[in-house]
Amino acid sequence: MMSGAAVLTKNFDRTDLFRIDTYLETGGYAALRKALTGMTPAAVAAEVKAASLRGRGGAGFPAGTKWGFVPQAAGTPRYLCVNADEGEPGTFKDRFILAHTPHLMIEGIILTCYAVGIETAYVYIRGEYEMIARRLEAALEEARARGFLGPNILGTDFSAEIHVHRGAGSYICGEETALLESLEGKRGLPRLKPPFPASVGLFGRPTVINNVETLANVPGIVQNGAAWFLDQGRPKDGGTRLFCVSGPVVRPGIYELPVGAPLRELIFTHAGGLKDGKTLKAVIPGGLSAPLLKAGEIDVPLSTEGIAAAGSMLGSAGVIVIDETTRIIDLLVLVAKFYSHESCGQCTPCRIGTAWINKIVGRISAGSGRPADLDEILRLAENIKGRTLCPLGDAAALPILAIVRKFRAELEQGMK
Amino acid sequence: MPVIEVDGKRIEAAAGRNVLDTAESVGIAIPHFCYHPAFQPEGSCRMCLVEVEGSPKLELACSLVVRDGLKVRTDTPTVREARRSVLEFFLADHPIDCPICDKAGECTLQDYYAGYDLAESRNIEPKERREKLVKIGEKLLLDRERCVLCTRCVRFLAQIAQTRELGVVERGVHAEITTLPGEIIRSVDSGNLVDLCPVGAITSTDFRFKTRPWFLKHADSICPLCARGCNIVIDHHPGFTRVPGSAKIYRVRPRQNDAVNGHFMCDDGRAGFVADHRAVRRERIARNGGGGAGTEWGWDRALDFAVERIAALRSAGKAGRIGAILHSFLTNEELEHVKRLLASLGAGAVAFADPPEGEASGILLLADRTPNRAGAAAVGFDPRAADPAEIAARSDLLFIFETNRANIPSGSAAWEALRKVATKILFTTHETPSVPLADLVLPVSAPAENRGSYTNADGRVQRFEAAVPACFDIRPLADVLVDLSGKLGERP
Amino acid sequence: MSREFPPALVEGIARLAGRYPAKQAALLPVLHLVQNELGHITMDDERSVAGILGIPAMSVHEVVSFYSMFRRAPIGRYHLQVCTNVSCALAGGGRLVEHLKSKLGIKLGETTPDGKFTLTGVECLGACEQAPCLMVNFDYHGNLDSAGLDALLEGLP
Repeated sequence: MMSGAAVLTKNFDRTDLFRIDTYLETGGYAALRKALTGMTPAAVAAEVKAASLRGRGGAGFPAGTKWGFVPQAAGTPRYLCVNADEGEPGTFKDRFILAHTPHLMIEGIILTCYAVGIETAYVYIRGEYEMIARRLEAALEEARARGFLGPNILGTDFSAEIHVHRGAGSYICGEETALLESLEGKRGLPRLKPPFPASVGLFGRPTVINNVETLANVPGIVQNGAAWFLDQGRPKDGGTRLFCVSGPVVRPGIYELPVGAPLRELIFTHAGGLKDGKTLKAVIPGGLSAPLLKAGEIDVPLSTEGIAAAGSMLGSAGVIVIDETTRIIDLLVLVAKFYSHESCGQCTPCRIGTAWINKIVGRISAGSGRPADLDEILRLAENIKGRTLCPLGDAAALPILAIVRKFRAELEQGMK
Repeated sequence: MPVIEVDGKRIEAAAGRNVLDTAESVGIAIPHFCYHPAFQPEGSCRMCLVEVEGSPKLELACSLVVRDGLKVRTDTPTVREARRSVLEFFLADHPIDCPICDKAGECTLQDYYAGYDLAESRNIEPKERREKLVKIGEKLLLDRERCVLCTRCVRFLAQIAQTRELGVVERGVHAEITTLPGEIIRSVDSGNLVDLCPVGAITSTDFRFKTRPWFLKHADSICPLCARGCNIVIDHHPGFTRVPGSAKIYRVRPRQNDAVNGHFMCDDGRAGFVADHRAVRRERIARNGGGGAGTEWGWDRALDFAVERIAALRSAGKAGRIGAILHSFLTNEELEHVKRLLASLGAGAVAFADPPEGEASGILLLADRTPNRAGAAAVGFDPRAADPAEIAARSDLLFIFETNRANIPSGSAAWEALRKVATKILFTTHETPSVPLADLVLPVSAPAENRGSYTNADGRVQRFEAAVPACFDIRPLADVLVDLSGKLGERP
Repeated sequence: MSREFPPALVEGIARLAGRYPAKQAALLPVLHLVQNELGHITMDDERSVAGILGIPAMSVHEVVSFYSMFRRAPIGRYHLQVCTNVSCALAGGGRLVEHLKSKLGIKLGETTPDGKFTLTGVECLGACEQAPCLMVNFDYHGNLDSAGLDALLEGLP
């Protein structure tokens, strides 16, 4: 399953790592103890900032910087929302963390609460992960029972509580402000920014939203220091990441590698390359919202800047491998249908544009497409790009633009 | 005060205001659908995107708060292209209903199409089909194909009327506006939804298919149906001078006044104003019970008759037996004239036949269902001091002022008492129950034909002018009273 | 036709509401609780929830309609939710759907006449390494082919 650097997945061979006794045995909650007994909140925050821990949810924004946006004089209450919505197609790493090592994330949550002066955290977990949510709730009970969570943690005057909050089947709720709306019991409609959640977030209070994997890295940084973390990765992009590989490869699954590891190595070494003698056609490097790379474009490092330089994004690190037996039109149909289905409908370009593109693509797939339709799709996608209220517009537009531009010949061929 | 620049124009902006309002205040229009000054910015229509110096992306003018040194451009090729493309998305699924849509002529989508697009649709896919005749209120219809999901209607009921009677269900292109299944909007402020809707999605059955906005003239006025004094616009056709009674009021809309009614008015006023104008009016002078049974008297003859009856009582030393029954729909000017007239006659007491109070309801409608009780008080009357029956009992001559809403109900104690009054001079707008009882019936202007001022519940004096001409024998009451006083003055 | 919420359900709702400073925030978890207990959510259930949480009925109505997991109609004993998104579709998920449709004799969104199975298509389940996969009620099953699918269905009592 995993190889390369084993930091988050270090003890995954212990199949009951989700139990607190096993977690403690492997050194769990030592970072929390260290922080609460020997570090100020500001020191914890400074360590995470210096470590260049980028968000692992999709945007890649530095976590320490995000924490710093909560105004100093903000007052209480403040909230931490853990984004466990994991809806980006091709992504399943958070599921692994939640299922195999929930305590690692819990410890990271409590440390984050300590660093930012937060007393209540909500784990927004997608509704489909019901069985995992139950495991998480059991883990939280264990943590409470041992004094790692609740009032006066480890005998200090720091208190924090974590609640599990289920989503109910909506991709857009993975967007941080839509997550807040959903957590407040409303439709998942993204909010206008400014104001930003760090100032006005959950229930109008200063709020930090972090991805599951991002938080799972915090104990390691606290325990071993920023330099240790930074060294494993790249400048301004420290640590290791869990890369998801799916598609017709020999070994689909999670691979923990240093940030900056070559994409080619991930696919052809760790995941064993394509199975059944298939050849590579394209790779989507960061979940469906990341523009795809052609087979000849995969010699890029798996870092935020590295994939961006290649005209795509590392995003949620959901690497989807596509082989030559896949027709590009079928991929285009899936992409167009998905974003149209998941559009919240609030803003005009996305609501109308994704549906319009979906209809054109459907018509092409059914056999009545013309080359001019491809130009129309490009035109509409360019009209959605940069004009929407939230990033879902770009998430729809950019992959569609890449598919049509890079595989134009095949799409036109299919129209003859 | 932050100083900003819009299209090179330097503007001293009010702190905290957004760029859209600020630009509008100096005559630079930035197109928008979902924004409305009564609400917090929504940011969902994406129509108001503008270029901001120093910003890589276009920004929304509705939610961008002014700050010193901000430089905005609303007319660059980038902005125009963004605007055109957003408008194209609005139009993609929009039904071409203009020939049968009430909103044509005052439709934001039409106006913007003419101003910013004017291109043929490139959408060759089948349009979304939705329900077109959804009854969402007693007099409100929703056409979901025309709806552009600006959500102003939803937000009005949620944030301002606070009844939460509309919502948005489903998501994406299937999102639609709805009431709860089986229910309709009961809010007394629901008529505002028609004004708020930028397209013809929400229409009023009162106005549906009746006319076209470009045929209408607009007259500012004040709603007389409660003490709030909402500022209104009367949309009407002035009629034809050779066809008496051809003036027609089609609808009444609110006029913005932040000190009185904000941007809105209530349904009672909206429907009531039009209904009152269309109700059966008193059109002719009549003299009842003398020879020549009420026909063909002109104003001169009619007033002479009144003067004779008044003079008779005065010379008999019975001026104290002259009384008046008034109402709080009278303007300040009319009340002033009445007061002066009665004083000059040495007349007796007055009573008011006001309608009973109602329930204060919604965001505007007050319990006091008259427009000028405060005005009456300011002139020195106390509308509650006396009872009409009592005044009638001690009068030999009564001036009675009535409208369809303020009158003596037939069969009531006051009505019985009226029958015993020797001379009843009735000034009325409508065919009220007192008409057959009165000795002299004088038709006077209804609010839409009248001019004057009311003093609202906050003590604010608000003037209005006549919107439509009076016809037949109808004259403004103030003029009638001046003429009457004039004639009385010529007699010792 | 209104149905009473059992006391345990009402208690559960109160407990959930207590985790948030505003009761409306409990809405999604509460609706899950109601749906898991009663099978689906009716208009009257919406009103009951609105009443208990002290929020407008329209707020509940909007939420039930927005989220894919909430259902207004009863479903079969086993909800077969097949992922139709990219990794599963490219791994043959479409064939799984066709297999189920013909085997069960129903279309997507329908329930078998004996009330045992409901078949729906869902978006990415977050188990792409096991593509193609489906979720039976809340249980994930991956790496499925027709044979595996048949065995899975047979094993369901």
